[in-house]
Amino acid sequence: MERILRVENLSKDFSGLSVLSGINLEILRGERHAIIGPNGAGKSTLFNTISGLYKPSHGKIFFLDKNITGWPIHKIVRLGLSRSFQIINIFPKMSLFENVQNAIVSRFNQRFNWNSLLDRNGKIKRESERVIELLNLGEFRNVPASELSYGGQRKLELALTVALDPVLIMLDEPTAGLNTEETRNAIQLIRKVTEGKTLIIVEHDMEVVFNLADRITVISYGSILATGTPDEIRENSEVKRAYLQRIPNASSG
Amino acid sequence: MISYWNWPKVLGVGIGILLLFFPKMLSETHINLSIEIFIFALYAVSFNLLWGYGGMLPFGHGALFGVGAYTAGLIFNHIPHMHLLLTLLMAALSGLVSAMVIGFFCVRLKGAYFALLSLAFQMFLFALAWKWRDVTRGDDGMGIVRPSLHLPGLGSISMMNINNLYYFTLIIIVLGILACYLFLRTPLGNSVVCMRENELRASFLGYRPFMTKFTVFSFSGIFAAIAGALFVLFTEFMGTNSIDINMSMAAIFMVLIGGAGHFLGPVLGAAFYTAFQDWISSLTKHWWLIMGIFFIVVILYLQGGLISLLQSERIRFWLGGQNKSANGKNTESRKPV
Repeated sequence: MERILRVENLSKDFSGLSVLSGINLEILRGERHAIIGPNGAGKSTLFNTISGLYKPSHGKIFFLDKNITGWPIHKIVRLGLSRSFQIINIFPKMSLFENVQNAIVSRFNQRFNWNSLLDRNGKIKRESERVIELLNLGEFRNVPASELSYGGQRKLELALTVALDPVLIMLDEPTAGLNTEETRNAIQLIRKVTEGKTLIIVEHDMEVVFNLADRITVISYGSILATGTPDEIRENSEVKRAYLQRIPNASSG
Repeated sequence: MISYWNWPKVLGVGIGILLLFFPKMLSETHINLSIEIFIFALYAVSFNLLWGYGGMLPFGHGALFGVGAYTAGLIFNHIPHMHLLLTLLMAALSGLVSAMVIGFFCVRLKGAYFALLSLAFQMFLFALAWKWRDVTRGDDGMGIVRPSLHLPGLGSISMMNINNLYYFTLIIIVLGILACYLFLRTPLGNSVVCMRENELRASFLGYRPFMTKFTVFSFSGIFAAIAGALFVLFTEFMGTNSIDINMSMAAIFMVLIGGAGHFLGPVLGAAFYTAFQDWISSLTKHWWLIMGIFFIVVILYLQGGLISLLQSERIRFWLGGQNKSANGKNTESRKPV
């Protein structure tokens, strides 16, 4: 299968404190790849470095055969990488529709268009409505994003991420703060909206991870402990030692 | 009936008709005051593009007003036969170029650093205007003669006639404000609002913060400079008063008083600021003291500006105004805070 993301020997230090070291990672087109690890393992830092928020201290990142190391965020996004955030990151004062519309405007490459009015032919509106319906958010269309429930904001975060129709979707703990019921719905929704896409997901709920992912990478203390299919990860002795109690059926399966 | 017609539109059309007949109704003093208000209205609207919509509060916007003023002033003096519209165009260009240079450095910064760097640029330009006496005549300034406007078919229209100047200014200002309004309705205008709302999220949607902010900064410079040029035409004087710190503060106060929360807030602010200042300065020489107290009251108790009073529910009710959204809150978020 085609590799769409390749991370080579990636390290990230913050003022001398090493958070990631020697990370090598490959993401294949169409796979659902989960990244797991204890708190502070460096999962979010890895996400932030790949997506351009942090510049790597060492190493290279290739996305769609382009060396995107050190690229500005918007350029990486335009190439086809879209991500969500662990802490809700939306346009709080804008309505839900306007939030999604901002993503669609960008996807249609209208960001810098100054010689026609916004959405003159209604195309952006139609597409925004489609994404809103896809996420089952229709009834909250005109509600300011800041007034949505926490679950609603989580969905909007997901909507903004998938609205760009990216090649690679990166979700950083999309179920953080949701209860069991909401988590189940969220995962269903994630399955639905990422159908046929490549997905990297950071997730704490191991039930979710082992059900959803095609492959899993385990990170501990800033390094990769193991990468493999859910079954391989279950059987991996190092992972068992470091992470045993969290993995469902690890001892029995 | 008014609610059916949407009262702001009725009010707008009413004021528009009134403006057309002002020269027939008002004394020369009041026509002069109206022209001054028009000029500051455009200036304040250009400032609001940055502050109200872009979320950038520059302390040195007066620099762009001043550049336009000096460009026009020098042309009036040295090339008196240049077409008036071409002079305005040159002023607009000078504003655009200056804003591009200043913006190139400033928009990389945020908050206080952005504000202070723009102020530093203004101090530099002010020093240039003050010290480069050979060209600018320093703090003595320079009187200018208002050129006539030559229009094909209409012949030569003298700007010495206050009515002509009134209509000329009104047309330019309306076109300028309309351009700013339309700019905000374009996808690019929407991108500017995204920068204010959440720059990081916008970046992760593919927006490029630097270019977006740089563009609106440059665009705003055009209109600040046109206002500056009209100011020189109106006052028949080119001097450091058009480029000093007070001019920057005036923009902040006008937008603050009118309300950055609405596109027309700055227009209202400019009208109030100019008229109020005119009135109290005729009453007492300590008028700045009163202005100061007034600003303090506005900042403390009326952060939405005067326009927020018009938007308040009670007044809307009395005017038979628009319905609010179902949840009782205004969901139109394109409008700034």
